[in-house]
Amino acid sequence: MSTLILYFHREWLLMFRNTGALVQPLVFFVIIALLFPFSLPAEVNLLQSIGGGVIWVAAVLATLLSLESMFHADYQDGTLEQAVIHQRNLPAAMLGKVIAHWTATGLFLSLFSPVLCITFNIPVDQFWVLFVGLLLGTPSLTLIGAIGAALTVTLRRGGVLIAVIILPLYIPILIFGAGMISQSEQGLETISQVYTLAAILTLSLTLAPFAIAGALKATIN
Amino acid sequence: MNPFSIIWKFLDRTYHRLASPREFYGIAQYMTPIFGLLSLALILSGAYLGLFKAPADYQQGDSFRIIYVHVPAAWLSLMVYTIMAVAAAIGMVWRMKMAFVVAICSAPLGAVFTALALITGSIWGKPIWGTWWTWDARLTSELILLFLYFGVMATYHAFEERKTAEKAMAMLSIVGIVIVPIIHYSVEWWSSLHQGATVFAEGGPRMPSDMLTPLLLMIAGFMFFYGYALFLSAQNMVLNNERKSRWVRDLIQNTGDSQ
Repeated sequence: MSTLILYFHREWLLMFRNTGALVQPLVFFVIIALLFPFSLPAEVNLLQSIGGGVIWVAAVLATLLSLESMFHADYQDGTLEQAVIHQRNLPAAMLGKVIAHWTATGLFLSLFSPVLCITFNIPVDQFWVLFVGLLLGTPSLTLIGAIGAALTVTLRRGGVLIAVIILPLYIPILIFGAGMISQSEQGLETISQVYTLAAILTLSLTLAPFAIAGALKATIN
Repeated sequence: MNPFSIIWKFLDRTYHRLASPREFYGIAQYMTPIFGLLSLALILSGAYLGLFKAPADYQQGDSFRIIYVHVPAAWLSLMVYTIMAVAAAIGMVWRMKMAFVVAICSAPLGAVFTALALITGSIWGKPIWGTWWTWDARLTSELILLFLYFGVMATYHAFEERKTAEKAMAMLSIVGIVIVPIIHYSVEWWSSLHQGATVFAEGGPRMPSDMLTPLLLMIAGFMFFYGYALFLSAQNMVLNNERKSRWVRDLIQNTGDSQ
C-alpha cells in the first residue's frame, strides 16, 4: 500500500509541476468533440442523438493520446528500469502511477463533460448519466491502455502500435458507456450498463496492474 | 507403478521432446502428412455429405449449407485464440521456446479463420437477415477478435529483438483472452439476430443427425487443417530461428546433397 501511495504522490508531483502537458488531453478531448458539430448539419436532434457517442469517442482518443507519455519520461531517464529491477511490488507501484495518470486525464474529462453536453444540446437531466459513465469507464480505459503503453515503451515509434493493440480492447467499454446515454435518451433504465462498467472496472483494477508489471518486465531488459 | 505415474511419465517425456526445437522439427516432419491427409479426407467427406446428402432446411432452403464453412471457421477462430493464449502463457511461465513458436504461428491462422467466419456469415446474412452486416453482439465481438489477432501480429513484428517480441506478443495475447468467453456467450447475454447455440444446446443438438454429421466432420477437418498449417509454419519458423545451430546447417546440407 505504501508503495502505491509513494508512486502516486511522485507521479502527481511530476504532473502538476508541468501544467502545460497536464491540460493537453483535456484540450484534445474538447477539440475532437467539437469537430463533429462543425462537420455535420446543425440540426438539434441530430447533435442530441450522436452527442453521447461523440463525447465517448473523444474521451477514448484523448486517453489514447495521453498513454504514450505515461512511461516515456521514466524510461528515458532510467527510473522505470530501476523500478523494474529493484521494486518488489511492481504491480502496486504501477497501479499508483496509473491512478495518478487517470486523475489528470479521465477525471478531468469526466468533470468537463457537462460543458460538452451543453454544446450538443443534451438535456440537463442526462448530464449525470454521461458523467457517471465516464467516471466508471475512463479508469478502465487508462488501466487497459497502460498495458499497451508498457508493451511499447521501448519502441521508438510506439504510438500507432498502442492504438492497434488497445483500441480493440476499448470497444466493449465504449459500447456500454455510449449505450448508457442512448438508452437513457429513450427513457430506459441504465443500471445494467452501470453494473457492467463497474464490473469491467473491478476486473481491470485487479488484473491490469499485474499485466502492466509483466509487460514492463518482458520488454525492459 | 500405478497407471497415473506411467501416463505422467509419458506426458512429461512428450512435453520435453516437444520443447526442443530439433525434436519438434522431427516430430512435425512425420505429423504434417498425417494431419494433411486426415484434414483433406474429413473436409471432402463433410463437404460431400453436407452439400449433396443433407436435406435442405425447411425455412432457409439450400442457403443454409454455408453453415458447413461458417461454423467450423467460427469455432476455430475461438479455439486458435485459446491455444495461442495458453501457449503464450506456457512460454512466459516455463520459458519454453516452442510455446512461443506455436503462439506466433497461430496468430495469422486464427486471423484467417476469423475473417472467413465474418465473410461467410455476411454472405449468409444477406439472404436470411436481409443485410450484410448488423451491429449486434456476436458480430461485433468477432470483429474485435480479428483486430486482436492483428494487434498480436503487429506487436510481434514491431520489436527487433526476437525474445522481447515473443514476450510482448505473449503478454498481449494473454490479456486478450477475455474476449473469448464474451464471444461464446454473446448470443445468450444479448438479444441478437444471430441464432443461439445449436450444437451444444441444452438437451442435445437441435439439428437432425444427417445435417449434424457433416458439420462435425467439417469441424474435425478444419481442426486437422489448423494442425497441418501450424506444423508447417512452425517448422519454417524453427528453421529460421535456429539457423545458426549445427543441426539446421547439417539438415540443409544433407537436403542439398540428396538432390
